[in-house]
Amino acid sequence: MGKKELKVAFLLALRSLQRGSRSSVILTILIIGMCFTNMVFLPGLFNGIGQSITKQIVDYETGNVMVNPKTGEQYVTDLDALLDRINSMPGVERATPHYTKAATVKYRDRVLGVSVRAIKPGDEKFVSPLYTKMVSGSYLGEDDTGEVIIGKPIAGDPTIKRADENQASLGGVRVGDSITLEYGGIVREYRVKGIYYTGWYSADTTMYTTWSDMEQVEGKALDKAEYITVKIKPGYSEKFIKNELQQYGVSEDVQTMSDLLEKSMGRALQSFAIINAVSLFVGVIITTVVLFIVITIKTLNSRKQIGILKAIGVDKEVIMHNFGLQVIILAILGIAFGVIMTFLLSIYMAYNPVVTPEWSATLYLTPMDYVTNCLILFLASVVAGYVPAYQVSREDIQSAMRA
Amino acid sequence: MIDINDLQKIYRMGDVEVRALDGVTLDIQKGEFLGIMGASGSGKTTLLHMLGLLDEPTSGNIIIDGTDIGRLSDYEKTMFRLYKLGYVFQDYALVPDLTVMENVSLPAMLRKDRDEEQIKNDSASILKKIGLYERQDHLPRELSGGQQQRVSIARAMVNKPDILFADEPCANLDSESSRVVLELFKEINEDFNQTIVMVSHEDWHKDYFHRIVRLKDGKVISDGFNGKDKKAA
Repeated sequence: MGKKELKVAFLLALRSLQRGSRSSVILTILIIGMCFTNMVFLPGLFNGIGQSITKQIVDYETGNVMVNPKTGEQYVTDLDALLDRINSMPGVERATPHYTKAATVKYRDRVLGVSVRAIKPGDEKFVSPLYTKMVSGSYLGEDDTGEVIIGKPIAGDPTIKRADENQASLGGVRVGDSITLEYGGIVREYRVKGIYYTGWYSADTTMYTTWSDMEQVEGKALDKAEYITVKIKPGYSEKFIKNELQQYGVSEDVQTMSDLLEKSMGRALQSFAIINAVSLFVGVIITTVVLFIVITIKTLNSRKQIGILKAIGVDKEVIMHNFGLQVIILAILGIAFGVIMTFLLSIYMAYNPVVTPEWSATLYLTPMDYVTNCLILFLASVVAGYVPAYQVSREDIQSAMRA
Repeated sequence: MIDINDLQKIYRMGDVEVRALDGVTLDIQKGEFLGIMGASGSGKTTLLHMLGLLDEPTSGNIIIDGTDIGRLSDYEKTMFRLYKLGYVFQDYALVPDLTVMENVSLPAMLRKDRDEEQIKNDSASILKKIGLYERQDHLPRELSGGQQQRVSIARAMVNKPDILFADEPCANLDSESSRVVLELFKEINEDFNQTIVMVSHEDWHKDYFHRIVRLKDGKVISDGFNGKDKKAA
């Protein structure tokens, strides 16, 4: 097909869209836009959930790299020497230990079982953003003793009756209140120094105290940890640091966040991928069918005109490309509308994330996600448009003109 | 210019056979304004469709300017229609989404031997000829039936075809508009020595034709000049 034929096909397509049924054009663009949104929304949300969970796990559980006790051992030992060694390695921002002890907390008539996690507040600031999540009071100081910070869900809300609570709480502890912690026979009074809320269930249902305080509880210097979390400097990969740690003779069990995520979330991520694929497939099928119907109706309504065009010497290729180009124009506008709608939706969700007790998620779409989905939808649209256009353009003049 | 030899068109509807054309043989000369007349169902539109390459005969052949059109491929027929023929339809058949100028220019835009300037000039010139140049930016729905038919004639004429076919072009027009359209055909025929083959069932149209071929039941029953019919042999 030559340039002149293509020009005529484009003129016919453009004029049909400009001067034909405006409502049909707008509805078709809306449908394509909605199909695009449908195709990217669910995968985007799952990506967002994945990103959110990953970030929270890094922030409050594992860091970028986690050093666990050797197989068969309960604690990471010779802690100070190990921390010095890790912190001296290139690419390590900071390594910080954690030591957790089970306790029973009492406040007025409320009694709860909790985990109390000992941290080194100064180092922890480099690894976890917990210190930025205080909703009242303040974060722990390095040498604080007899003070804890607690998650908002544990602190509770005094306006909610115990029977109405989603999860057991202390019924409205405030900053400055005294609570009693009992560690297997050791009873200690604590002042609530701060209340935090991270949105990560595991962190919000834990109490944090200082390493110094835990040493008092244990009655000795703590040269062991349950695990160490390591934050890496920008530009270094987790795998590089893991290999480096192992080369530097760290004989403990070293795992990257990705290793841990694969173990804990592998099946969930696989399920997300399946749902994404199904969602994409359904979206493409819906778009293809809708466009096929729209263009088929359009071509059937234009059969007489197609017959006339052929009669005056317009080649069937020009007629086919006329309808094909209409679909291409509609697809481009529809996809653009879908991209804008998705973009606005992602901005809205950034400010209003989907929040659950365990995680909060926004719409997470990379430029590659946009490009891939645009291309898939565009190709589906072109196929859906050209098939009926091809069929109708092959019809003989007499049959078309009699329509 | 056009040789029609023993043309037959048979439609089969189940066991029933309908002979729409039954052995039509005719010669049409360059510059003739030929009227094909007859009652409804006499085969006049079928004959016009055969001549205009819009339909294929069951048997017989048509030779236009030495080309046996039955031997042309689908694409060659399309190009033959584009370069050699012009067609005016009963219901105007304009593209509703194109302006008057775009409708008229459309066939010319597809010709490889026309540049944009020539297309523009030819279209403007023919629109002036039919008196609708001032309405070149209007859409067909904004014109009266008579005006739309004149645009249809302009579209058929823009490529300066060898033969102009018109299928009952006045069927949907009142008598005044019909007269304007027929005068236009007459002018085109006289000014450009344009061969015109027109189908009509209105008896008063015969005053405009040089030659009249009458059909009945798919057969030529008379063929004569200036209203002086001679019985077909």
